[in-house]
Amino acid sequence: MTGDRATAEPLHRGSTSASDRSVDRRQFLEAAGFTLSLTALTACTRQPVQYALPLGVMPDSFAPGKLVNYAATCNGCPAGCGLLVGVRDGRPLKMEGMPEHPLSQGGLCAVGQALPIALYDRHRLEGPLYRGRPAEPDEVDAVVREKLQKIRESGGAVRLLTGTRTSPTLSAMIENFLGQFADGRHVVVDVPSSWAIRQAHQETHGHALLPRYFFDRAQVIVSFGADFLGNWISPVEYTAAWRKNRIPTADRPEMSYHAHFEPQLTVTGSKADRRYRVTPSDYAVILAHLARELGAMALPDGTPPLDTASGMSPSDLRSLAKKLQAAHGASLVVCDSQDVFTQQLVNAINEHLGSYGKTLDVTRPSRQRLGDDAALAKLLEELAEGQVAALFVADIDLLHDLPEASRLRTALKQVDLVVSFADHLNATAKVADVVFPESHLLESWNDFQPVADLVSISQPTIRPLGKTRTLLASLAKWSGQTGDDRTLIRRHWEKYIRPTAKEPGSSFTEFWDKAVQLGFVERKVTPIPATYKAPAALTWDRKAVPEGYTVVLYTKVGMPGSRHAHNPWLQELPDPVTKVSWGNYVCMGPKTAEELGVAEGDVVELTVDGEKLELPAYVLAGQHDRVLGVALGYGCPGTERFANVGPQWLEARPTTPPGEPVGRNAAPLLNWQRNTLRCVRHGVSVRKAGRHRALAVTQLYHSLKLPESIAAYGAPDRSAVVQATTLEAFRKDPEAGKPEVHVDENLDLWPPDHPKEGHAWGLLVDLNACTGCSACVIACQSENNIPVVGWDEVRRNREMYWMRVDRYVQGDDDDLDVRVQPMMCQHCDHAPCETVCPVLATVHSEEGLNQQAYNRCVGTRYCANNCPFKVRRFNWFNYRHDDDRENLALNPDVVVRSRGVMEKCSMCIQRIEAARVEAKKEGRDIEDGDIQVACQQSCPAQAIVFGDLNDPKSRIVQLAKDSRQYRVLEEYGFRTNVGYRRIVRHREGGETGGGHHHG
Amino acid sequence: MRERVITLGLLVALFFGVLVLAKGAGEWRSPGNQQGYAPPQPIAFSHRLHAGELAIDCQFCHVAADNSRYAGIPTSDICYKCHKFVTAPYAAVAEERRKASEEKREPRPIVSEELKKLYEAMGVADPLKPVDPSSLEPIRWVRVHNLPDHVLFSHQAHVQAGVACQRCHGPVETFERMYQYETLSMGWCVHCHREVNQTGVSGRPVHASTDCAACHY
Repeated sequence: MTGDRATAEPLHRGSTSASDRSVDRRQFLEAAGFTLSLTALTACTRQPVQYALPLGVMPDSFAPGKLVNYAATCNGCPAGCGLLVGVRDGRPLKMEGMPEHPLSQGGLCAVGQALPIALYDRHRLEGPLYRGRPAEPDEVDAVVREKLQKIRESGGAVRLLTGTRTSPTLSAMIENFLGQFADGRHVVVDVPSSWAIRQAHQETHGHALLPRYFFDRAQVIVSFGADFLGNWISPVEYTAAWRKNRIPTADRPEMSYHAHFEPQLTVTGSKADRRYRVTPSDYAVILAHLARELGAMALPDGTPPLDTASGMSPSDLRSLAKKLQAAHGASLVVCDSQDVFTQQLVNAINEHLGSYGKTLDVTRPSRQRLGDDAALAKLLEELAEGQVAALFVADIDLLHDLPEASRLRTALKQVDLVVSFADHLNATAKVADVVFPESHLLESWNDFQPVADLVSISQPTIRPLGKTRTLLASLAKWSGQTGDDRTLIRRHWEKYIRPTAKEPGSSFTEFWDKAVQLGFVERKVTPIPATYKAPAALTWDRKAVPEGYTVVLYTKVGMPGSRHAHNPWLQELPDPVTKVSWGNYVCMGPKTAEELGVAEGDVVELTVDGEKLELPAYVLAGQHDRVLGVALGYGCPGTERFANVGPQWLEARPTTPPGEPVGRNAAPLLNWQRNTLRCVRHGVSVRKAGRHRALAVTQLYHSLKLPESIAAYGAPDRSAVVQATTLEAFRKDPEAGKPEVHVDENLDLWPPDHPKEGHAWGLLVDLNACTGCSACVIACQSENNIPVVGWDEVRRNREMYWMRVDRYVQGDDDDLDVRVQPMMCQHCDHAPCETVCPVLATVHSEEGLNQQAYNRCVGTRYCANNCPFKVRRFNWFNYRHDDDRENLALNPDVVVRSRGVMEKCSMCIQRIEAARVEAKKEGRDIEDGDIQVACQQSCPAQAIVFGDLNDPKSRIVQLAKDSRQYRVLEEYGFRTNVGYRRIVRHREGGETGGGHHHG
Repeated sequence: MRERVITLGLLVALFFGVLVLAKGAGEWRSPGNQQGYAPPQPIAFSHRLHAGELAIDCQFCHVAADNSRYAGIPTSDICYKCHKFVTAPYAAVAEERRKASEEKREPRPIVSEELKKLYEAMGVADPLKPVDPSSLEPIRWVRVHNLPDHVLFSHQAHVQAGVACQRCHGPVETFERMYQYETLSMGWCVHCHREVNQTGVSGRPVHASTDCAACHY
């Protein structure tokens, strides 16, 4: 044998002859192969043993694997939206909007949707810390009580600093707790705060209050910087209300008019009928002239003239005033300025227009922002002078969210007792004597009072995962009260809430049970007798804006503050406006970027009064040339943990540079002016830092724009993908805006041999209602187990979202036309992906769905290549699922996909199947409304409708008859099952915006 | 010489290989097929006795079968409902009673070895004592029917449609120890789905989907 082979293989033997070797290569392979096959054969046996561990005792009305919804209230921000917590097998999994809730009306924003991943965060503090070391709750309680006793005796000052907490029980507890000390005070802080609105009402109405705004009652809405559809005060509530007047039909071609003034493009600005590009200091000028034009008041002495520098021409102002005047009693002016003078102008205009009592209410005010800047300023002063004996801090990270952190750090050293309630080790918690982490919302009892006449309750759906408790329970313990948070809330509700409830029930138990089940209770309240009194003549005392750029500090829709910095879903969510995920950046207009010679990703250094901030630049259309924008809530200590959040492979780059947090903290640029903490900083100088940090942007690829050089003659207009028209054109022709393309319904490559006889599922998205807020993106992520892939993978265009919100920008910067479009699998009846799959892993269902069978997919990626909508996502890796606590957030109804398979929107097939079984149980067929897909359920604007296209009575079929209905790339004959409804702008003429260039 | 050594080596390897194979030959099957799998369980529970002889309905214990994707391994308290009182086979209890009356004494409580394990899991020494919820220990039943993760099977859908449990699980009422009766392979599922679309289930016409997404999503 060997001899033959030696002659057959004379190559590369060198001096060593075959006979010198004990075993040659071939023999080794033979032996190895034989052994390997033997080993493989032995593998043909049983799977590893698995155990099934049932509960000891079956809880009442519990079924394994069954989804049960519990009512709760969201605490992602102080807006207090109604929440339905989907619990399965004792695990809270999916957050949905509560349709009955008077404020949110079934909507829920991205932040609310992302609650579960924060609950199962392994990095959350698991128990109290004493001087940085883990300690037992009893031990910590003893220490705190002892110190408090000493302070009580010595009469030292005790300060409690929290964000806005609307809880009535907590308010009473705080009062009780602080009442034990000679000098106890509660300071509420919001960054950014709405204190100026409250203060302006103090001046004009005699009460420091935040009005409740009713956007549904307004026919003309004028907003100065208030991003009420994005993140201003209560965006979900406002979106639901705003939407009501934004849906024109052929029968009733009416909609509200919405003008928006802002320095940087926001969600609200992109939905406005007319957007003006102004600086924050222009608000007062325009408002003063508007007030004069309306006749609300005389022009304050010294008001600068209205000229082009203030972003608005006198003729535009006159036409706006006319519109407002015509809608007397149905108009609303809102402003996010932190300047009391500016807000007083707003009040004067609203009063003159008869808006009070109609479109905004001060008699039953909102409590969604209670921050008091003056009280905060006083506290910081006291801290600096060493007058505070004990400081309790919740919600806010004192040393991170406020400017002058180093001075504060020194000041904190003089405080005898610093207690933090942070759930992560943030900057304040690091230096605090005691950290008693607060329980997550879903682990604890909470109550809320977001507006005067509504109280809501939130029940726990899981036991605390660590030794944590609520702020309420901690304060109770330290003030010597007994009872856990449930007892305390029950006690308060029995004594104070039930007597004022509209429906108090026959007994407290009945009332309480109903409140817990429903989640909220409406209250009778005595209206606050607040009426407008014109303030003494206002004088213009603005200082001239200093040279340099103005920086506007804002919070992103998906990142309302440092409290959420540890949430990977929110960190990865592309910002609705910039489409950048992971981190913050400096937004600047194209002109500014040109002036500075920077391109996207070039790091720039902002300098003002000795404060420096280095961040990559992002070029954003529609930005004011003298204004830069930086998001707050980034650069949080502890977010270094996300460095390796994505797949680890040879060329992987960390999501954050080694040892650095996600983004940079912009809080040092906040500044104090007239006792208010301003988010606007003037006189900032900018220079290039000479470095580059690529941004993970999801907007610039997947472009549908065909370069002119390669576009074939007669190639259709790509802007037909997201169609728009104006109200004037719509009134003349309800089909206005429809592109002139030839759609041949009869031309067909395939014989009609697959009739859809039963159901035919479809989606319809109203682009006029959709604000692009991206709540649906996180809803889909939570429902469908979509992994977080990290900065590097997003940068490589490999984010895994099944649903994205596309943003199209055209027109010039002064009159921008922004269109947003949620894009998911279009479930084409003639699907291009299906014809190219070599293994039939993607085929059509008999109900019209484009199915993806993961276990059949071999990963050729032909389908993604052939998909005209670019909605298919390939699993390049086995994404991280190694944290078994985080895995608790996975939906057991949806498979976790593994490496090498394609995936995409399934139109929530698991929900369809669940509804089918439920209907079968009741012996009926699925009815319209039984199924709500995840993206639809929580949409604050109710822009998405799911239904059966074969059911003539279904809502989707009724809506699809509308003249605004169209399908994307209809002319190609894909026969998509997802429809869209055209955008209508309340404008004159046929143009929806300025020029024609795509951005 | 060297060839012989190698041949000898291979033969020895083959011998041991066959030994290994012979040992597992009874269990040898194509990967994923678990038909006939009958692992020993922590408690020697007999379906023959409970479902066969005593004719207890399947859903008396598997309570979620008509209500959830999972039929549900019964929680310990479901067993305990009856076994609070039934502590041993009737023959053993009768024997003790007979002895007791012969010896003119009170009959001693008889607890079978298997049921002791249940009481341990419930955390009770005496079956008639109340149960302390904090002392509950789950019973580590060995899972017999285990579909791959990429299959989503709903018991509820099938029970609602009137499919008998035995159609997939076999004549469980005759099993002393539970085992997997069918292959539970995709071909086997699809075969039935096609068949019932023609024949119906228990005389009723049904529509059993053969779409991929009926089970894979």
